Amino acid sequence: MLMTLAFRNLWRNRRRTLLTLSAMVVSAALLILALGVFSGMFRDMLASATEQYYGHLVLARAEYHERRDLFAHLDEEVASRYISAEDTEIIGISPRLRSFGLISLAETSQPVEVLGIIPEREKRVTSLQNKLIAGDYPSDAVSNGALIGQGLARKLKVRTGDEMVFVTQAADGSIGNDLLLVTGIFATGDSRHDNNLVLAPLRWVQKIMVLPGRIHEVAMTLADPMLAAQSADRINAQLPDDVEILDWGDLLPEMREVIAAYDVSRMIIVSILYMATGLGILNTFFMSVMERTREFGILMAQGMRPWTIRGLVLLETCILGCIALAIGLTCGAVMTLYMKLIGIDLAEYITPVTYAGGTILPRLHAVFEAGNFYVPAGMLLLVSLVAGFLPANRAARLDPVQAVREV
Amino acid sequence: MKTEQITIILSTLFLSVTLLLTVRPVFALDVEALVRQVEQQYMGASSRSLTIMQVKTSHWERTLEMEAWSLDRDYFLVRITEPAKERDVATLKRYREVWNYLPKVDRVIKVPPSMMGGSWMGSHITNDDLVKANHIEKEYDLRLIEETETYFLVECLPKNDAAVVWGKIVYRINKTPQVPEQVDYYDEEMVRVREIHFDDVQQVGDRIVPMRLTVLPMEKPDEQTILQYRELVFDIPIDETYFSLRNLEKP
Repeated sequence: MLMTLAFRNLWRNRRRTLLTLSAMVVSAALLILALGVFSGMFRDMLASATEQYYGHLVLARAEYHERRDLFAHLDEEVASRYISAEDTEIIGISPRLRSFGLISLAETSQPVEVLGIIPEREKRVTSLQNKLIAGDYPSDAVSNGALIGQGLARKLKVRTGDEMVFVTQAADGSIGNDLLLVTGIFATGDSRHDNNLVLAPLRWVQKIMVLPGRIHEVAMTLADPMLAAQSADRINAQLPDDVEILDWGDLLPEMREVIAAYDVSRMIIVSILYMATGLGILNTFFMSVMERTREFGILMAQGMRPWTIRGLVLLETCILGCIALAIGLTCGAVMTLYMKLIGIDLAEYITPVTYAGGTILPRLHAVFEAGNFYVPAGMLLLVSLVAGFLPANRAARLDPVQAVREV
Repeated sequence: MKTEQITIILSTLFLSVTLLLTVRPVFALDVEALVRQVEQQYMGASSRSLTIMQVKTSHWERTLEMEAWSLDRDYFLVRITEPAKERDVATLKRYREVWNYLPKVDRVIKVPPSMMGGSWMGSHITNDDLVKANHIEKEYDLRLIEETETYFLVECLPKNDAAVVWGKIVYRINKTPQVPEQVDYYDEEMVRVREIHFDDVQQVGDRIVPMRLTVLPMEKPDEQTILQYRELVFDIPIDETYFSLRNLEKP
């Protein structure tokens, strides 16, 4: 009975109800879209930092993490010893050997970082294969094939198929030097990688460094990057003292802070927007309660209890909130989906920005994240109830005798 | 009373400044010649040498044998003869530029400015040492800070506009024979970062030179580079055409 009454009351002043409803729908939908785009931006940043270079977890000797000591190397098979193959959380494991040296072609030379990798395994950790602008990813077929960054290629004026010389100090003190064949060029938008990073086959780097069978680190990717810290703790418990796993939060502390700050700013944005929406709802229901003073008086005179009246008004706001929520969530989801699939390309207007170790790409692009839906949804319901509470209270406190006389 | 004191102090100051100003140029000439002689002792107008370089670090030890040629202060060519793995690796210095030749890949690589501070052939000698050491008196102000019965102590502080690597260099030069004993290198914070010791003094032609040179990096006490001259011939017939990129590649 109360339900029917509430519905009818809502529909009595259709225009006002629809206006309020649309305000709620628009605020919820736009909020969901905005949060989705925000999340997309952070996801891009995190992905650029982890998928372009680090991975989500990095296992290495403790002193290697600290100062990239050339001599802090590990056995190539170290990963299989401590990480179980059945670990479903870890989806990529890539052993790497790092070498700093000089790369040159003709008269120009550049200091670079050469990362020795096993192509098929590295592809599961970093995604430079998706950032190619020329040529191919190094394969096992070419023993000295190298993937270099766009900035480096430009400085050295090399193209795919060119041979470059890499010179470095090997682990036995000799001058390690050999030719690298450029098989591909990548562009990430992060100048540090584009200008300095070279991927080359692990065997080749081991040979030039005179470190056969040795690696510096094992980079790993996880199914859920947000669980990196827990996974790191879990594996660290099984590791000997001189080997350590760091997660992306340790490797990129600024990134961790940016994401924590995002969780707070999401609440602030949601609060501000809903404060305004809440005031709109409050206004609507005060009006509707005032208009119905006489009606409430009659209902009470006929014996309706004050808390039923209160319930009635609250039910009305609740119904309005639920309808707004349903439409708002749907619209928000549809818009987010659009932004996820198509997005907006801003490459014409802005260039990539590197911040907190990650790169913000020049595009608006959204991702689905549960929190971006339930936070606005929960808050919308809460706001409707709070905004409905005051008018409901007022209605419940009416004196039937005076209320009936109200015109 | 006070006025008197001030007068005394002022006149003392004035006197010492005058002394410094008048005395310094006399020493300066002397000191520059001294230091130049140290820096060029292995070169002369031209030279050829056979050297054994022993490099010891906390991770490895290696011995290289090499042959080197020089002309004035501006041309220098060195080629490794042993071990076999690195035979014919060569370095050419012409004025301020340094090239390396790598026989394995058959390429000549010019050392870029950013790598001039890097180690030369894995030793504790830098590329900068090859290029700049011979121009000490052009980039530093030299001053005699101590003179005893047996040695001079010369301090070199960088000139205002000089782009230099060291904050201070101190030479200890023996009086008779006039050969260096020790050179100390300080960084910009005036922390001593490197010492070079000279010994095994021998007569070579009409000169007296220390045939062994030991480089000690201060922050790594267990590391060192020893250069031992096996053969040293001065004033050989050689001209600047010898120091060409083509000759760098061809043994």
